[in-house]
Amino acid sequence: MGWEPPASAALCRLALVLKIGENHLRDLMDWLEEIALRDGRAIDTILAGRVIAAIQTDPRLGRADKLKRIKEEVRRQRFPRLAQTEDALRARIAALKLPPEITLSAPIGLEGGRLRVEFSASSQQELKKLAAKLADAADQQPVREAFALLAGTGADTKTGG
Amino acid sequence: MYCFHPEEIVVERASVASPMFQRLRQRLPEVPFKILDDGVAANGRRRPGEASFGAAKKRLFVAAHKGEFLKKCPGSDGQVCCNYFVINFASNCTMDCSYCYLQEYLSGNPALTVFSNTGDLLREADELLSKHRRFFFRIGTGEITDSLALDPYIGFSREIVPFFAEQPNTLLELKTKSDCVDELLSLDPKDRVVVAWSMNPERVIDLHEQGTATLHERLRAAWRCQEAGYRLGFHFDPMIEYPGWERDYQDMLEQLFAAVDWRRIAWLSLGVVRITPDLKRIMRERFPRSSLITGEQVLCPDGKLRYFQPLRVAMYRTMFGWIRRAAPTVKVYLCMESREVWQQVFGYAPSCEKELGLQLAPAH
Repeated sequence: MGWEPPASAALCRLALVLKIGENHLRDLMDWLEEIALRDGRAIDTILAGRVIAAIQTDPRLGRADKLKRIKEEVRRQRFPRLAQTEDALRARIAALKLPPEITLSAPIGLEGGRLRVEFSASSQQELKKLAAKLADAADQQPVREAFALLAGTGADTKTGG
Repeated sequence: MYCFHPEEIVVERASVASPMFQRLRQRLPEVPFKILDDGVAANGRRRPGEASFGAAKKRLFVAAHKGEFLKKCPGSDGQVCCNYFVINFASNCTMDCSYCYLQEYLSGNPALTVFSNTGDLLREADELLSKHRRFFFRIGTGEITDSLALDPYIGFSREIVPFFAEQPNTLLELKTKSDCVDELLSLDPKDRVVVAWSMNPERVIDLHEQGTATLHERLRAAWRCQEAGYRLGFHFDPMIEYPGWERDYQDMLEQLFAAVDWRRIAWLSLGVVRITPDLKRIMRERFPRSSLITGEQVLCPDGKLRYFQPLRVAMYRTMFGWIRRAAPTVKVYLCMESREVWQQVFGYAPSCEKELGLQLAPAH
C-alpha cells in the first residue's frame, strides 16, 4: 500500500520524536494501514486522534512510556473487540482481589483458552494460605465469567464486527 | 461460473500420447499448444515468480509427475488432524481466491500443471490400499488444485472414480468450488465417492473467490450429484467474519438444506480463514483492497493468523447450532483447530487423529 504524503509525514514526526525502532515501526505501519483500509480513514487523521495526541503532549510521560501507550492505543483501534475482551478479563481478575503473590493472566491474543496462574511463596505456611485463597477465588463469579470470556460465551464477546 | 480458457497449452514430449493431453486437444481445439522436450518444459514450469501468480494460471502445462502422488495431508502443527490423505493430480488452480494458500505454497513453482501419468497414480494408490485393507482411508484430490475445475477438459474423474468406487476401505473426496460435475453424472460411485464443496455466502464469493461458481451454481451441482448417487460434503471454510456475517451464513445454510438431503451428507467442516504472515504480504500485493487482512486475527502457535480464539469459537458455535437444527446427526468437524477449541465448541476433542478419521468413516 502506498502512503499519502500527509500520512508519511505524520508517522515520520512520531518516529523521530519517539525514536521508534524498526520492529515497533513495522507493527505500527501494519496496524495503521489496516485500520485505514477497514475504516476508510486517513492515517494522519488516525494519528491526530484525541487519545494519541494527549499521550504525545503529556509532560509526565517519558519517551519510552509514550511509545508504549501510543502502540497500545493503535493496537486497541486495530483490534477493538480483542482489546475489549482483554479489558473485561482484567476487570474480572481484579475483582477477585487476589494478594500480589498470586498472579492470574491470559496469554496475549487470548489464544489457548487458558488462564495462567503464578504463585510465589517463601514458606510452606504461606503457600498453603495462598492455595486456600486461590481455591476460594476459583468458586467466585468473576472466575466463571473469565472462563466464559475465554470460551467466547461471555456477554462481552460479540461477533459481527 | 467463469469459463477457463488457457492462452496456451505446453506439453512435454513424453506426455503427447497421454489420454489426458488427447482429451485436452479434443476439448480445447482452438487453444494453441507447444511441445517441449521434457527438461525444457520442466525448467519452464519451475521458473519462480513467473510474471505473477495470476499470469501462471493462464498457461496450462501437461507433464508426467516424477514423485509420489499420494501423501498424508500435512495438517498444521499442534492442531487436531483428521487423518486425511491427498492425491496431487494437478498443481495450482484455474480460480483465484484472494485468501488462497497456494499463492504462498506454490510461489516458487506456480505453473498450472496437470500430470499426465494417471496410470502411475492409480498403480500407487492400488499398492497402498491393497497393502492396508484393514485401515480406512479418506483421500482427497483438492489440496493443491481444485478437484473438478479442470475436469471438463481433462476428464480425470472418468479415470479416478471407477477405480475408487471399487475400493472397500476408502472414501474419495472430490473438493471443489466449481459446478463442473457433468463428467461425474454417468459414473457409478458405489457410495465410495464424496463430492464436496467449499461454501461461502454469495457476498464472500463475489468479493474473495474470483472465477468460482456462484452459491446457486454450487448448490445446483450438489443436487445433481446427490441425484446421481454421490455422497456430499460441505466445507464452511474459510469462514469470514464481517458485520452481518450471521445473516449471510444462516441464509446460506437454509439454502443448502433446502437444496440437498442432509442424510446424503458424509461430513461438514468448519474453519475460519487462516493466513500466514508471508501469505498476508502476498495478499497485500495482489489484493491491496481486500478486507480479509483487516479482521481481528492474531498469530497462533502454528504460525497462522486466525480470528482471536473467543471470537472464532463464538462463530463456530453459532454455525454448529444452526447446522444441528437442520441436520441433527450429520458429522461435523473443525479443520486445523486445537483441542482447546474443539472442547469449547463441541464439549469434546478426539483423543487422536485415528479417532476422528474413524468417526468420519461410513457406518456399516
